[in-house]
Amino acid sequence: MIVRPVRSSDLPALIDLARSTGAGLTTLPANEERLAHRVGWAEKTFRGEAERGDTDYLFVLEDDDGRVVGISAIAGAVGLREPWYNYRVGLTVSASQELNIYREIPTLFLANDLTGNSELCSLFLHADFRNGLNGRLLSKARMLFIAEFPELFGAKIIAEMRGMSDEQGHSPFWESLGRHFFKMEFSQADYLTGVGNRAFIAELMPKFPLYSCFLSQAARDVIGRVHTSTEPALTMLKAEGFSYQGYVDIFDAGPAIECETGKIRAVRDSQALVLAVGTPGDDATPFLIHNRKREDCRVTAAPARFAAGTLVVDPKTAKRLRLTAGDQVRAVPLSPAREGV
Amino acid sequence: MLVMRPAQMADLSEVQRLAADSPIGVTSLPDDAGRLGDKIAASEASFAAEVSFNGEETYFFVLEDTESGRLVGCSGIVASAGYSEPFYSFRNETFVHASRELKIHNKIHVLSQCHDLTGNSLLTSFYVLPELVGTLWSELNSRARLLFVAAHPERFADSIVTEIVGYSDENGDSPFWDAIGRNFFDLNYAEAERICGLKSRTFLAELMPHYPIYVPLLPDEAQESMGQVHPRAQITFDILMREGFETDHYIDIFDGGPTLHARTSGIRSIAQSRVVPVKVDTVASGDAVKGGRPYLVANSQLQDYRAVMLELDWVPGKPVTLSLAAAEALGVGEGASVRIVAV
Repeated sequence: MIVRPVRSSDLPALIDLARSTGAGLTTLPANEERLAHRVGWAEKTFRGEAERGDTDYLFVLEDDDGRVVGISAIAGAVGLREPWYNYRVGLTVSASQELNIYREIPTLFLANDLTGNSELCSLFLHADFRNGLNGRLLSKARMLFIAEFPELFGAKIIAEMRGMSDEQGHSPFWESLGRHFFKMEFSQADYLTGVGNRAFIAELMPKFPLYSCFLSQAARDVIGRVHTSTEPALTMLKAEGFSYQGYVDIFDAGPAIECETGKIRAVRDSQALVLAVGTPGDDATPFLIHNRKREDCRVTAAPARFAAGTLVVDPKTAKRLRLTAGDQVRAVPLSPAREGV
Repeated sequence: MLVMRPAQMADLSEVQRLAADSPIGVTSLPDDAGRLGDKIAASEASFAAEVSFNGEETYFFVLEDTESGRLVGCSGIVASAGYSEPFYSFRNETFVHASRELKIHNKIHVLSQCHDLTGNSLLTSFYVLPELVGTLWSELNSRARLLFVAAHPERFADSIVTEIVGYSDENGDSPFWDAIGRNFFDLNYAEAERICGLKSRTFLAELMPHYPIYVPLLPDEAQESMGQVHPRAQITFDILMREGFETDHYIDIFDGGPTLHARTSGIRSIAQSRVVPVKVDTVASGDAVKGGRPYLVANSQLQDYRAVMLELDWVPGKPVTLSLAAAEALGVGEGASVRIVAV
């Protein structure tokens, strides 16, 4: 398996992938035109021809037979072209000592606070390949890319996690809030943002702060909570240093988690090494390995070990990376020690 | 005869009897001797004060049955709403959330807390005994206040407002309160209104939400109760609507009842009342005049302000003929003048 930048020849495979996702992935809509447009931008991005506000680092996961089985992306900066909205979950306290009243009312403030940060987005792995190191490779390859090219990214990296919705795709938060202002289904609103129709959010959403006591209990219960299917991703990102700082999605109230770029474990702990090809041995642990290139970026995950300033990998791994002994790589253990292997 | 006059401290126990029966929500009539005593004292001072523009004065009137000496109603005017502390209302606002691209055009109704009505004069404390509800005596109890305003315009603001008690059910629960205020206090509506009466409305209002409230997020029952009048307040509402008060712009922040407002000079009893000279008929006995129609009749005094309702056969441009009893009740004699308006 290898993670590499997307190419226009991947388009048919991408459309197949998009069709296999349900509601909730706003950045991978099953719209051919839109996907083609996006791939075009990604190619420009990797060539270094896009301004940061427009950059879209879209990667694919490709197996050894050349089949595309997953995607992941980094938006170089959110909110520099159109406003980027979140709710900040704040607090209103209503209190009177005299009347022995003390009430805490979580309050949602519409904010553009996360503007300018980079975003990990569009992660999707085909169901048949959700095993082994694939998921971690697909997600964390982005972090290693960020480690190699920090100047292309913002001071913080954010990730919006899919919020709670039921089997039919109904979000309790949307039903209690968004529906009153949009008069459309969650999946439709979700689709519209996915195809880049974000301006309508600004035009239709409530601008004043919202006292959560005016939302249904079901809606209040899901503020800042992730969809069950997203919990593994949340756990993984938390282990990398991401944390919830009170920002949630304005549609489904899923958490937007964040980490200072340099403090992401896979960024902070990564190192530039010389590649050695040989036998990693039985005590080798999985490493994330990047060929340190941008346009011809290739990242893989494989057992490796340090030996005298080099990283020893087996010949198959070197071949996947299209490198030979003596070439430069950037590498980091695939998982933090406490996350296990 | 029923005579409207300024309340005196001697009326306290009778006033408390009226207050005890007034509905929840009329916080200007707390069933509390201390507060009512303060209210009467403030009123007496206000009637006695020399005033050149509206300030902190509060005027409190009672309707007395002169035969029995019993009180059958009361009403009041606060010269300046929010004089010593902020006066809160919810203003009905509409925001249009529109997207040309998506062909969506939503009118969103929002309630914004405001102090817009601060400084307006405020009609308060209306109460009549249940047997007088729906009779013309209710008109006397409410509108004689307006004749007082007409006689002493310098004491009042250019606009007059009044808060009508909103809808609450037989158990004293208000759907509007339950949807809004209750979240911030964890008190039921009756308890909250009791605290309002004993302390002040501002005291609780300051604990209320300060950001605007999106009406579509409120439960249906709360939305329906916005601007709804409590059955027992319907009479007050109807009288003032006939006087030309307007509704729909403001509602009460606690129970969602309508707040009425009007330009003082445009209020019917003020605009249409006439000051006419008095002739006293010493021959006829009793109040009723054959072929007459009911009028509210008031003198132009302050502490000795009196107003009554009489059947009169009055021709515009001519003096008004009062029976001796009526003239005595009003404290006027031949050659004095009175302000009259048809009921």
